[in-house]
Amino acid sequence: MSDYNFIERPRYTCALGGAIAAVSALPKAVPILHAPPGCAGNFAWTQAGGAGLQVGGYCGGLSIPGSNIQEREVVFGGAERLAEEVRHTLELMRGDLYVILTSCVTEVIGDDIGSVVRPLQEQSVPIFFAETGGFRGNSYQGYDLVLQSLFKDFVVKTGKKQPRSVNLWGITPFIDVFWRGNIENIRRLLEKLELTVNSFFTVDDSVDGIRAAGGAALNIVVSEVFGLGAARLAQEVHDTPYLSTPLPVGPAATNEFLRQVGEALDLDPALVEEVIQYENKRYYSLLEPLADCFNDLDLQRYAVIIGDTNYAVALTRFLGDDLGWLPEVVGITDILDEEQQASITGRLSKLDSGLSPNLIFHTDGSAIAAAVREHWAGSQSQAGKYANPLNPSFVIGSALDRELARELGAGHLSVSFPVANRAVIGRGYTGYNGGLTLIEDLISTIIAGR
Amino acid sequence: MSHFALKEPPRREDRLNACIAHGATLGEVAGRRQRCCLPASERSFTQNSICLLLPALGTMNSIPNSVVLMHGGLGCGSSCHGGNAAVRGGNMQRWGVVKDGTWLSTGLTEADVISGGEPKLAEAIVEADRRYRPAVIFVVSSCVPGIIGDDVDGVVEQTQPEVKAKLLPVHCEGFKTKIWATAYDAVYHAIGRTLLPETKAEIAPGKPGKTVNLMNMSSMGRVDELELERLLKALGLAVNIFPVFADPAGMQRMAEADLSISTCPTHDDYMLNHLKEKYQVPFILKHMPIGIDNTGKWLQDVAGFFGLGPEAKELIAQEEAELAAALKPLKPMFAGKKAFSSAGEFRALSTALLLAELGFEVVGIRAFHHDEFAEVEYEKLVRLTGQEYPLNIANCQPFEEANLLRKIQPDIFLGHMNGNSTAAKLGIPTHVIYNTGLHYVGYRGAYELARRLYRQLKNPRFNANLSRYTSLPYQESWYRQNPFKYIVTAGGDSE
Repeated sequence: MSDYNFIERPRYTCALGGAIAAVSALPKAVPILHAPPGCAGNFAWTQAGGAGLQVGGYCGGLSIPGSNIQEREVVFGGAERLAEEVRHTLELMRGDLYVILTSCVTEVIGDDIGSVVRPLQEQSVPIFFAETGGFRGNSYQGYDLVLQSLFKDFVVKTGKKQPRSVNLWGITPFIDVFWRGNIENIRRLLEKLELTVNSFFTVDDSVDGIRAAGGAALNIVVSEVFGLGAARLAQEVHDTPYLSTPLPVGPAATNEFLRQVGEALDLDPALVEEVIQYENKRYYSLLEPLADCFNDLDLQRYAVIIGDTNYAVALTRFLGDDLGWLPEVVGITDILDEEQQASITGRLSKLDSGLSPNLIFHTDGSAIAAAVREHWAGSQSQAGKYANPLNPSFVIGSALDRELARELGAGHLSVSFPVANRAVIGRGYTGYNGGLTLIEDLISTIIAGR
Repeated sequence: MSHFALKEPPRREDRLNACIAHGATLGEVAGRRQRCCLPASERSFTQNSICLLLPALGTMNSIPNSVVLMHGGLGCGSSCHGGNAAVRGGNMQRWGVVKDGTWLSTGLTEADVISGGEPKLAEAIVEADRRYRPAVIFVVSSCVPGIIGDDVDGVVEQTQPEVKAKLLPVHCEGFKTKIWATAYDAVYHAIGRTLLPETKAEIAPGKPGKTVNLMNMSSMGRVDELELERLLKALGLAVNIFPVFADPAGMQRMAEADLSISTCPTHDDYMLNHLKEKYQVPFILKHMPIGIDNTGKWLQDVAGFFGLGPEAKELIAQEEAELAAALKPLKPMFAGKKAFSSAGEFRALSTALLLAELGFEVVGIRAFHHDEFAEVEYEKLVRLTGQEYPLNIANCQPFEEANLLRKIQPDIFLGHMNGNSTAAKLGIPTHVIYNTGLHYVGYRGAYELARRLYRQLKNPRFNANLSRYTSLPYQESWYRQNPFKYIVTAGGDSE
């Protein structure tokens, strides 16, 4: 039994939602749901309200084919209905890849999906399936399960590794609202290290590239939590080692990231340092003209950071170590085990800036908000008419944290899911450029009334 | 026995013979009573749609001082992130305060599925009551408890004495019905069983004036409510709006009104019949006040009930004259242009009537489902628009829509929220048929819709550009097929 009775306004959806997100982001892929009728619609509405106005894609939202199972299938089994649906999907819908995803109901009734898929695979139909019943976890798990199935059942096994070829994942489509930009920024940096990058979900990726992903020399997972199941599976099945790193946002984290990749692939250290030096010079040259106003307008802030593990760690480090802000409280909303919590705590207690923010693990945003209020109240030392409250401040979290920001009189930017109040297309916060983009967004919010 | 005596309302497939799969011309369908499509008709290829949980949440999240406790998998209810903008906007418009909806999920895991979710639900109810101190907690059952056999009503019954909030069990198991309009019954059922008085005798007599229940099951935003309030007040009626954004402590006033008025017959029959049978509140369930003539008919019916016919006639004449003058400069843009309408049954039909009134040629209609309430609308349409164009009964199914749109090539498409990207990617100017931020209803709605369509048609470049470089996920061969190829009619032809 899980250790919560309820989760308030979960900042993710279920495993199936994450799986739909992942498959609809694969190049020209057609998801096929083995589910009751509402699951895809539920996720489309979730995206409309949480993913920076990004819904669907080539085949997403209500276009996704599905078996729409009802009580009849629950009683008599749904495999036959699924087989019919798949047959007609192949007849009617154009895709480079078809992925069957299962749901809570079809897993409880125990339909055998393999028996539907195997004969088609034998006829070289590009199809596989993932068991993504909603109760298997949240959207991050759904993403991981799709990648696991991909490496198990679709990626071609090869003994020949391409020494300068890597796969890149750890960024969850749509649930990381800035996924496109975040993947692309890192991809471009890795290409500067003269690597060939297979990133699966960008518009520059292809099904052929994905099929050949078994030839990579390294799997790079830019997350300490998301996508690690797939990394371990790929190591087992394809014998590809993996590197798991925090999501690199801003120069400090990106410098470290590039060095880790260099070491793991045994790249020429001179090349790596050359790229790092060039990028840092470029970053600070671009930042230079902002320095006058940054200092004159007193744009340093106390910060509250609320988000998933990727963002909470990356933003805290960026704000503290690169931008010189003061992260006070960090709330992480993922469902994590003790070991994961300990490792993240370790990471955030050794920031270069020497800061050690108050760290809270809680699935409920309002529990985190309560801890922030307490922390803020505790800072109100009184010395006659002089007070030193944590002001000016800034809340960087999701759209659900606007109320907290209002109470604190703080600035606010929605970065982590749900992002209801921004439109997002290709914006990303990773790498050196992403750091600059984040500064633009934070400061634009502060000065919007000028 | 009243449906309200049961734990959950019946499916609309059973109660109303509602159905979701049919394709024919309007003329073939009009006047055939319930035989347009048979309840058991199906598709052998289906795309996904929504389930009853989603529209139900739209209403529940709007209720002040409430918490929506989803009992199910972690994802059931995440559509609330999408619905929250309407909750925030609706709260702001009514009370000047922006407020998010509060919803929780028991987030059932694999272990819960195996061992049952009842203990977790009971604890969640108690904890939610303590943490949020709401007036009501909607305890919503989704697919998983439905399939593993959790007795949600039993848990609610056992837990109620321990908590201050009133507990309202709501059944939204998505695999039990394909007619998501069953959602409205599910929410009304919970309100009727829990928040209405035991008997008519409990209601204090001697209220002043003439009071009507104006029913809004989240199909109208505040701007539309204001338009209908304006018209009803002009007839001297006092208006109470239920159930969206209505204080749970005041829901009992539903049973005290002189008349209940539906704004969308698809939504309200279940509750209005209950109010009539149990509390002798008569009702009107006819016409949706979308469209010029429809708004007048709707008003006349209400006025007629109170003996205010002459007053209504005068009001309508004045409103129509003013509107006609305002529409005059816009209408040349619409003359002879082909329009396609797609949405919930009543909404699609009444919007098609309005489009015809504005001077468009109606060339296609798609409705999410079909039941008996809309027959009168089909007859109106036949009279106003002719009958030789397709009518498709489909719970979304964009593949049929894509096929129809490629064949018909309309000049404008009006589709339900979340159902417009097919038309958009085909390069067709597209407007949303339901969005609670926009005006649609009454005379004001007719004018505002015309204004928006004028804008869309004046510069349709967004979709035109999009269509040049994006494609729909269908084989080219599909567009040469009969759009209704995958509809399997139960028991053969109904003729």
